[in-house]
Amino acid sequence: MSSSAIPYSTIRMEGASVAEFSWDVRSPLDRALIVGPYGAQGEAGVSLTEIRNFDLVQVMARRGNAGEMMAAAKARFGVAAPETPRAVATADATLIWSGPDQFLVLSKDGKHLIEALAPGFAGSASLSDQSHARALISISGEKARAMLAKLSSIDLHPSVFAVGAAAATSMDHTSVTLWRGKDRDGQAVFNLLVFATFAESLWHTILDSAAEYGVTIGHSGDL
Amino acid sequence: MRITCPFCGERELGEFTYLGDAKPQRPAADAGEDAVYDYVYLRDNIAGVMSEHWYHGGGCRAWLKVTRNTLTHEISAVEAAAGAGAAKVGA
Repeated sequence: MSSSAIPYSTIRMEGASVAEFSWDVRSPLDRALIVGPYGAQGEAGVSLTEIRNFDLVQVMARRGNAGEMMAAAKARFGVAAPETPRAVATADATLIWSGPDQFLVLSKDGKHLIEALAPGFAGSASLSDQSHARALISISGEKARAMLAKLSSIDLHPSVFAVGAAAATSMDHTSVTLWRGKDRDGQAVFNLLVFATFAESLWHTILDSAAEYGVTIGHSGDL
Repeated sequence: MRITCPFCGERELGEFTYLGDAKPQRPAADAGEDAVYDYVYLRDNIAGVMSEHWYHGGGCRAWLKVTRNTLTHEISAVEAAAGAGAAKVGA
């Protein structure tokens, strides 16, 4: 393209008229999530809490190096990384199975940033920072499992999907990483990681599914 | 139809994508035009037991080799395809 074909507006980009962008970190659910009650009135059957400001790193073994990756994970976290669909709690992180020879490291407050993990996994695994690429939704309440049954074909009954169970699956044609966290107030807690750009869509589907049970919506910085 | 992923367990069909016949092998570089044509375009239309590649894209993102009867949809075996994961399967 000749320089004369460039619209003057792009030339002006070099100057002082460049639009000012805000790089503040915002949740993918910033617009969709409205704190408070939703759906049927009365005691909420489903509690939805978006977890914000987490650190998430994907760890994938390189060909033939799964053993070395597992050893590096043990050295870093003090516990074995999951080799089957499970979520393993460490002192300050959760290791979530995401596929054969790969797992996610979920933490907060910069305890396990990709820069800190990289040296330990050098040569054995490829790392990818997913902190701003996923939304994390925590689902609990008396009707949580009934609501999830509308979205998921996998059996979430406690006899099958106990605390620590995880699944790489799909909900509403959207890939999700689902795992059962520690019970809260005697009730099951299901955690859901979804791609940031699909989060709003899935959020609305979840609200539609949960509305009949009554929903309480919030967000938190606590994992 | 459900497929039992060797990594995830039994899952609904919607999580998987069908690729096709798992039998064709890429010919050697010097195999000639006919062999390449055969590999790229020619497929048997099998009525019966067939070895197929399926992708678990809605789950663990592993490639699978599924032995399925195309007449009954009965699945007799599912294994990880070559290259799935990093260590469990050879090249």
